[in-house]
This record gives sequence, C-alpha cells and structure tokens, in this order.
Amino acid sequence: MGKNILFTARNITKKYPGTMALKDVSAELFSGEVVGLVGENGAGKSTLLKIIMGNEQPTEGVMTMHGIPFAPKTPIEANNMGVGMVFQEQSLIQNLTVGQNIFFGMEDKYTRFCVLNKRKMHEDASRILEDMRLNHIRADRKVSSLEFATRQMVEICKVFHVVKRSGLDSCLILLDEPTSVLSDGEVRNLFENIRLITAEGHTVIFVSHRLDEVLEISDRIIVFKDGEKVDEVLTAEADESILYEKMVGRTASGEYYKVSDQVEPGGEVLLETRDLGRRGYFRNVNLTLHAGEILGICGVVGSGKEDLCAVLCGDESPTSGQLLVRGEGKKFGAPQAALKNGILSIPKERREESIIASASVSENIAMSNFGNISKIGLISKKLEKAQAENYRGKMHIRASSLDQKVGFLSGGNAQKVVFARALASDADILILNHPTRGVDVGAKEEIYSLIRSLAVQGKGCVLLGDTLDECIGLSNRLLVMKDGEVTRECDASPGNKPEQVDIVKYMM
Amino acid sequence: MEKKQYTSPIAEEFAYEMRRQTRKAKIINYAPVGVLAFFFALLSAIAPGFLSLYNFRTILNQLSVPLVMTMGLTFVILLGCTDLSGEGLGGFCGCLVTLLVINTKNANDFGAPAFLIAICCGLAVGLFSGFIHVKGKIPSFMVTYAISSIMSGFAVMSYRGQPAMAKDPLLTKITSGSVLGIPYLTVASLLVFVAAFFLQNYTRFGAYVMAIGDNEAVARNTGVNVDRIKMKVFIWAGFCIGVSGVISAIRVARGDVGLGKDTVFPAITAVVVGGTTLTGGKGGVVNSLVGALIVTIINNGLILMGVNMYIRSALQGVIIIIAVALSVNRGKKVIVK
Repeated sequence: MGKNILFTARNITKKYPGTMALKDVSAELFSGEVVGLVGENGAGKSTLLKIIMGNEQPTEGVMTMHGIPFAPKTPIEANNMGVGMVFQEQSLIQNLTVGQNIFFGMEDKYTRFCVLNKRKMHEDASRILEDMRLNHIRADRKVSSLEFATRQMVEICKVFHVVKRSGLDSCLILLDEPTSVLSDGEVRNLFENIRLITAEGHTVIFVSHRLDEVLEISDRIIVFKDGEKVDEVLTAEADESILYEKMVGRTASGEYYKVSDQVEPGGEVLLETRDLGRRGYFRNVNLTLHAGEILGICGVVGSGKEDLCAVLCGDESPTSGQLLVRGEGKKFGAPQAALKNGILSIPKERREESIIASASVSENIAMSNFGNISKIGLISKKLEKAQAENYRGKMHIRASSLDQKVGFLSGGNAQKVVFARALASDADILILNHPTRGVDVGAKEEIYSLIRSLAVQGKGCVLLGDTLDECIGLSNRLLVMKDGEVTRECDASPGNKPEQVDIVKYMM
Repeated sequence: MEKKQYTSPIAEEFAYEMRRQTRKAKIINYAPVGVLAFFFALLSAIAPGFLSLYNFRTILNQLSVPLVMTMGLTFVILLGCTDLSGEGLGGFCGCLVTLLVINTKNANDFGAPAFLIAICCGLAVGLFSGFIHVKGKIPSFMVTYAISSIMSGFAVMSYRGQPAMAKDPLLTKITSGSVLGIPYLTVASLLVFVAAFFLQNYTRFGAYVMAIGDNEAVARNTGVNVDRIKMKVFIWAGFCIGVSGVISAIRVARGDVGLGKDTVFPAITAVVVGGTTLTGGKGGVVNSLVGALIVTIINNGLILMGVNMYIRSALQGVIIIIAVALSVNRGKKVIVK
C-alpha cells in the first residue's frame, strides 16, 4: 500500500540557556499511522510536541506538513495547517457548556446579528460527540459539572474536531499523556476513536509513560533519550523490554558521581514513614532514612514522588499513615514546622521556590536561619556577612561580591547559595528535589561533592534526581514509584549499583 | 480478547477526590439562593414592617442603583479585574444630568437626551480606563481608582462648588411613575439586567469573558483578541456606571458629587456574595442579581430596625469578608497577595 508522507522534521535542535533539549531530531510521519513517542522525563518528547504545535520555535531545523514548509509561530497557525494537540493540563473553560467549548473560537457559524444560537451549537456538538461514541455526554452541560475523566474526553473530542474542520484529507493530532486520568472503558473508547480517525487518513502522535498502551495503539514507536532520537521501531517487532533497553540514558562513570566518597549510613533513623498516603496522589509508602544516607526516589512525573516530597517537607498534609522524625510521630502544618524538626527542602523550581532574586547572596543565605545571625532580636549585618563569607569560601560560590543580587548568578552558583542556606540552617534531613536542574556540567560535579559531604557530616538526604542515572549514582538506596505506589526498593551501595534498565522496568 | 486493566487504585482515588470537589462546588453554587431565603425569612420575623407591600416597593426602589452597578462590575470581576471608578464616575454622570436638564445653575433644557449624553460619557470614560489598563498594563484597580478620583474632581468643577438642583418636571414624572407597581427606575435597572444576561449567555463576547477569566492563555491561544474583549468589558462597566449615576440623580433631583458615594462597595459585595469569584471565570449576572437582592434586603431590614448607618457600614464589611472566605479556594499552596 502506498504511503503518503504527511509530516517531516529535519535536524530539529532546541537549545535553552545551559541545556540542549533536542539534538538534531529528524522524523517522517505517514498518513494514517499512529506513532508512539517514548522516553524518560526530559528526554525531549514534550519539547518536540511544543515545536510542532508552535508553542516554541526550534533553534535549528525545518519541518514540512503536506509537503510544504511548516514553521508555526502560534498554535492557531498549527491548527490551520491541520495540526492539533491535547495538552496534559486541560484547557476547557469550566463555566461554558460542552458545546461552547467544542466550538470555542469558531462561533461565527452560530452567530447572527450578534446573537449566539446555542441550541444549534449544542445540536451540532451532540452530533460530534455521537460520532465519537460519547453519547452519554450532554452538549448543553457546563464543563464544571462533568467528571474529570469526562472532561478529558471532551478535550480530545474538541481537538479531533478542530483538526478535522481544517478540511484537509489528513491531519496530525498530538496526544500528550491523554490517558493518565481516564478509566479503562474510556481508554478503550479513545483507542477506538484513534483507529477510526487514522482509518480516515489522519495521523496521531501518542505520548505516554504507559508502554503497554503505546505498544497496543501505535504502528511505530520512536524512542527518545537525552534529547536525541535513539531509535525507531515497528511495534510488531518491539516489546517492553526492548523499549526499556533503548530508552535508558548513558551511564556515567562512578567517578562522576563521586561514588568513592559514598559513605555507609549510620544506624540512627532520622526519618521514617509508615503507610504514608495522600488521597489521590500516593499511598502505602514505607521508607526509612538513616543518618548519612542518600535515599533516591525514582519514578516518572505523576508517579507520586513529587507529592511524597511535598508531604515530607510539610508543604502538603498526608491523609493516612504516619510520619516519624527520630522515632517521634509528627504532623507538619507548614514547611516552617518541618524546619523546626530539622527538615528542609531544596525545591525543584529554583527561581520560583527557593531564591529571592532581588536579594543579595548574604541575605539569601541568611533566609532560613535568622537565629544564627541575630543579636537581641535584630539582624546583625556583620554576622550575616561573616556567615556568607564562610560559605562562599567553602562552597566556591562565584559572585562578584556578597552584595550581588542572586538573580544575576548562574544557575549553578544560585543553587550553591540555596545549599549554603540549607547548611546554615542546621537541618539534618534534606529533601533534594532535582538539585542539579538547569545547572551546567561543572557546577553539577561540585554539587555532587557537596551532597557527598552532607552525607559524611551525618545528614540524611531524600533525593529526586534530575536523571535516573544521577539518582542511581548518588544514592545509597533506591525506592521506585509507579502510579502512587512503591513498586521496588533496592540497594545502591558502591559496586552494587543497579542497571538503569532494571529500574525503568518498575517505573513504567 | 483479554480485558486489560489500565487504571491504578491511585487513579481511582484521584477520580473520587475530583468527584467530591465537584459536588462541593455544586453546593457552593446554590448557596447564595439559600442565603437570600435565610435573610428573607429572618428579616420577615424580626424587622418590623419588612413583610409588607409598601416595603417591597421600597426594596425595589433601593435595588435599582446597586443592581445596575453590579451588572457592570460582574463582567469586570468575571475577567478577574476590578472597577473602582463608580464612585467618581457615577457622581460625575449624575452631576452632568442635572446640569443638562432644567436646573438652578444654567439655562440648559435638553430633556430626555440629557440622560443619553450622561450615559455616553460614562461609556467613554470606561473605554479610557480599559485602554489604560490593557495597553499600559497597569492593574485595573489602580487605574479605575485613579479615574474615580479624577472624575470626582471634574464633577465638583462642573458645578463650581454649589450643586445644581434639577427643576425639570420630567424627573418627578419618572420617579413617581410605575408599571405594574414597579417603579420606572427599577424597570430600567431590570432592563440592564436583561441586557447583561443576554450579553453573558447569548453572545460570543460573554463566552470570551468567561474564558479569559478562567484561563487567559487558552483564550489567547485560540485566537481570541483578549485585549479588545477586556476593553469592551470596561466600556460596558462604564455604561452601567453612567446609568446608575443618572438613576441616582433622577431620584434626588440634585447633582452632587456625593451621588456616587457608597455605591461601589455594596456593588462589589453583591457580586461576591452572589458567588462570582474575585479571581474570575466563575459566577455570572444571575448570581449578581441574587447578591444585589441579598445586600439590598439586609440594608433595608437594618434600616427598618433602626440600626444606624455606621453600624450598617461595618456589617457590610463583615459580610463581604465572610462571603469571600466562603467562595475562595484556599489550598495550602495557593498564594494570595
């Protein structure tokens, strides 16, 4: 059977300051096929989708659609070329009806003398819903009154309609993790619709962490890792283990992660959880963190690891189970309560959650620990400076002066300021949430040394690594989470580090 | 074929949690009606003369200004913005009307078109505030607060110190007339309500306002001209303020800058008590009608009970805080400034 090329990408590269999100990616998509995209978090899948959709522009490379150059600057331009996307976060307007949402932005057809003919709109919307066998969804209901999964189906329906409306014989639909909130029946219904739409000649890109789904629905699978397309396989020739093998990233040497400095944890238990859970996010988590131990938590986005961290550092409340600090049951109302118990987190979004960009280096370091530098309740600028000077030397913070605003420092140096603050606060349980995110290679190594030195000092760290390799390389022990539950716990002492493939298996 | 299992227990928990929140939201949606019924019953029981035909007419009279003001504000608040210009702008439009009809200060006698001129003036100032807010990227509360101050100044300048008294018989005709027992001025305010209801539910504009308030990025990405819609909202708000200023002036037949005084805060209270959230995207004009009724009957009841105006003002403050507290989403991680 003759295949028409619908979409091509040639040498697409996307650079962000400090990182390379996509490296030289090329691909061809044919009309009427389903292509699965798989890869770890940060492998570049989402970046590629954003570029195709016009949310981002590539640094280098060109794309074509229907054989003509395609370089959308906005999602609307992409829509007009027959490209539509279902985003991970829903984009429906809650206070409008299902029908109004499906036809949002194209009310012209239903407007006469400025009056919106809602009845006609709802009739047409019902027909579209029926075509997708979603008869149970009423077009005149407000979206806010629908169940979450139903809303997702409406969202998918809306996008299918938008691309079909472009009137082109074949369109391209991007589905980014569309199934994460759907029930079994709905997933099956979605798959049926995908088959129907591809039978009409449209093409679907399907991104999911659930390999079984990708294997079931796609004709071909493209594997990403570290921003590169590593392979392209026919689904008929692939199975889960082959995909695991292909998608794990490079394994850096033990030296890179200073494995020789890894210490055997002490006997003292700093932090323990018993059947800890937060309804709808994770459940039955049992972990123990010893003094001097680095406990890595692996899992894809949505596995519940981020939510677990939020509970550990007092940012969210658990709904079940117990949290024990040095053997004592605790309940934290807020992060400051956690800090009083010696728990401090180094958050993931540095610019938003951990630094005050307009404050100086010394002020930022002083932030969590004014007790150290105060005299009779007033901040002593001299002590503040002295403390900052001390850490600047110890941690090689490269700043023109201690008065420099942290907003002007590089990512690596700003992160060192955050670590200095954590050290000065005397917290002995640190929740490290992607500590090397957006940090250049040299600074990464310094941060690894720092984390090792924390362990040597007897502090306990819970680590969410920026990559799986980093998480394995740095940790003493690993917990693997999937769908809110711990699926595996394993040792990662020097010489006994598990292979990435063996961990990925439990993540997806 | 084997039945494959896709969903995990945690996903089911999540779905359950979402269902619970949807249910809760539904209850909160209908709460304002309950509150209205509660106060109606309470005041009927304790306020002397509350439950009488004469008093209902009074309530309808008192309702007109807050209702019109609320209809404009609802759209602004649905966007997630605020319009505080009502005090100065309403006062100015009122003064303008009295100076254009037969009055004690000059020889003008425009008759009914005076109303139109004053209302158009409100509309124009609304456009100006919207333009400054959107193009200058200045927070709407700041722009409109400044506009209020500017327009108060203009109002006093327009009558050079001594307010004009309207002598036009047209005004007395309007204040005393009624259809089916409903005063003309209240009919006018109900017409504004009908127009607002229509705008919200049966025009593209209404849908876009909801969309911008709920998720501006989505609206932008769908090709909605967000700036233009926002400006239109401020024009509509200016129109409503103009109408409310004119109504006030007709009622007292005196063009004083004080006409606009104490109209904005009750209107905001009414919008919020009705269930339109200050963050935008939720609620609407029907909610605001209920809210305006709640605010009006409480005020009316307190007057009947002889409560003095300072205590009434204090109570209004308490009511708005309680209403906002009930309506906002206060998750731990929500940052409120």
